[in-house]
Amino acid sequence: MMTSQQARSLGWAAVLAICFAAVIVLSFKVHAVKSEVLLAERQLIALERETLLLETEFQTRASQRQLAEWNTVEFGYQAPRAGQFLEGERQLASLGEVRQPGAPSPIRLASADAADTAAAAEAPMRSPVSGAKVTLASAAADKDAGSVFADAFGDFLIEASPIRPARAETPARGAKVAAAQGAGE
Amino acid sequence: MSSLAARMAAPLTFHGSTPVIPAGRLPGAGLRAQLLWLARVRVLWLLAGFALVALIALLRIATLGFGGQAPQRTSMEEALLPPRGEITDRNGAPLARAFPAYALWFDPAAMGDNGAPLVRTPAEVSRALKEIFPDIDEARMTRRLASGKSGYLRRRILPEEANRVFALGEIALEIPRETDRYYPQGTLAAHVLGYVVEDQGGKLGMEQVLEKRLSHPDKRTEPVALSIDLRVQGALEDELRKGMLATNALGAAGIVLDVDTGEVMALASLPEFDPNTAGAAGAVNVFNRATNGVYELGSTFKPLTVAAAIDAGVVRDLGRQWNAAPVPVGSRSIKDSHPLGASLNVPQALVHSSNTVTARVADELGPERMRRAMIDLGMDRRPFIELPAKGKPIWPQGNWSRVTNMTVGFGHGLAVTPLHLASAYAAMVNGGIWRPATLMKLAPADVPQGRRVFKESTSSRMRQLLRMISLYGTGKSADAAGYRVGGKTGSAEKAGAGGYNKTSLVSSFAAAFPMDAPRYVVVVVVDEPKGTIASSFQRTAAFTSAPIVGKLVPRIGPMLGVQPDDSRDVDISDLRYLVGGDKE
Repeated sequence: MMTSQQARSLGWAAVLAICFAAVIVLSFKVHAVKSEVLLAERQLIALERETLLLETEFQTRASQRQLAEWNTVEFGYQAPRAGQFLEGERQLASLGEVRQPGAPSPIRLASADAADTAAAAEAPMRSPVSGAKVTLASAAADKDAGSVFADAFGDFLIEASPIRPARAETPARGAKVAAAQGAGE
Repeated sequence: MSSLAARMAAPLTFHGSTPVIPAGRLPGAGLRAQLLWLARVRVLWLLAGFALVALIALLRIATLGFGGQAPQRTSMEEALLPPRGEITDRNGAPLARAFPAYALWFDPAAMGDNGAPLVRTPAEVSRALKEIFPDIDEARMTRRLASGKSGYLRRRILPEEANRVFALGEIALEIPRETDRYYPQGTLAAHVLGYVVEDQGGKLGMEQVLEKRLSHPDKRTEPVALSIDLRVQGALEDELRKGMLATNALGAAGIVLDVDTGEVMALASLPEFDPNTAGAAGAVNVFNRATNGVYELGSTFKPLTVAAAIDAGVVRDLGRQWNAAPVPVGSRSIKDSHPLGASLNVPQALVHSSNTVTARVADELGPERMRRAMIDLGMDRRPFIELPAKGKPIWPQGNWSRVTNMTVGFGHGLAVTPLHLASAYAAMVNGGIWRPATLMKLAPADVPQGRRVFKESTSSRMRQLLRMISLYGTGKSADAAGYRVGGKTGSAEKAGAGGYNKTSLVSSFAAAFPMDAPRYVVVVVVDEPKGTIASSFQRTAAFTSAPIVGKLVPRIGPMLGVQPDDSRDVDISDLRYLVGGDKE
């Protein structure tokens, strides 16, 4: 027969056991979240490094010297002249002024009718040599040309792109190399 | 537990199995109690030992469970901390940064089984490597892999190549990630930046000057902003290169300086070097013509002489006619390059670049005041700039003689760097305040107060005169439409062994724009231009260095916030009539 004293101590023991179990479960949970944070942090670091890599590549490809060379060979842009600048809001507003009475009529340039251009866009494409109608292979398909192209060449282009992060380093090997070199990164 | 039980059982059985002991053989009750006590103490000690072992085991398990197995953790800041700080231009565009790169390292011990370091034969592996890196020597690589020595197989490989090496499946070929000092703009601003030698630190330029700041553990997270503007630097180098190649010159130097703060917007010296490839072996073309090369800059000094004379009250009436006949000095005489008439006034002398009148003005000013003005402009010491490459001017020692004074008056007998000239021109046009040049971006509060060299009135007079030179004189080809450029040409023969070399010139052009409210000084120096078709077979500054400024200013003006305007200009109506009526 269990005395009340014994029952009480048993109860306390049970409460203690439950608390202990809860603490263990909680600590597991905390640990799991911690390692998730760690993984996310690692991913962030990897992404930051990749961003740096890509950014640097863009800057290298678009260096001032390269841009100047392109401009010399391809574009031929000139420095803007004084007439291309606006003095301020007042000058900008003056461009939209209503024509004063007695002012000379503005020069009008010939323009195509908007309806014609819409019709032209819908007209079938014709071969410049034979004049026969041309149907593009992509137009025959129900999908648009962009998605057809992406389906056909997307993977190939991603494979061929020089901009890819190296997957070559596993964390364990990285740590070992870092330890071996002392300095790490 | 079995040994414990045995040890515990032994005294108990002894105790239990001998209830009856012959009285005569009893050693005594005291001894028995003593033995019993001893046995109990031993048992307790044993228990304590076991408890301790258990506790240690538990502690170990706990530490393993809570921290031991977790991968080595580095904080994000730590992982992303560059080994060397970044250098950017004034707008934050990176000029030098730590760049994550891969190396190819051979580690024969990587397999860890004391067997062959490679899975395949060295010959096969080197053939596979040859496919990835076509430039390697296959036989040498085979010997290298067979030798079993660890080391770099290749210092820098691309991520794509790293993937392909990884795909070979050779554990001994490791791809450690390393960081490299990288200059995305290549050769741009090479003389300003310098380069980095591994394990030795920065060399030559700001890399050397900022060594401590860039490698400081706390400060290196923040990039260092230089005063350089990347786009301006690019335009300056582009135009300088074109001008240098068009005139078949040895080299060229250019500076764009903010007149109000002393910040260097661009500083270039050609030919240049590539800091990406410069290393422990050094680099070619490290000589910086803009801050280290000293030249007699010739006629570009004439406005400084006139400014000193106006400031001292020697030239009060700009309409006064000065004798333009050759000035006899001892056995020789100072002549003009071509006769300009019997007499000239000061504006005419500047517009036509008359040596004789400038020499007479300097003579009237006197050597002492002339020397003082040059010292105030900082011409007697190395230029003020952070770079370690600073040329010492060739400064006439002692008290100046009359001849020295007159020759300095038109820019001979005193050799300074182009940067000296830029700082002096900035002081001349900004209202008369000389400020040291700097390559660090300055906050408005950090701008040095400077020292007054010229009066405000002198400065505004000089703006008019400089503008007139580029409107009516030798600087016409620098007069970019709408930018109100004012500047002076200078073509000086290079001093060599035994006097001046008639065939080698240093042509320079010092300008400021916009002249109605000067913001920037541009100095361009071309070293030994030759007469080519592009320069109409002329070697003088009007055909070699002035056109460079004329093409550069429209490119950099809008970037630097100077808007071209055809309806504005510095007011020269009070001086216009003094310069011949044949123009316009």
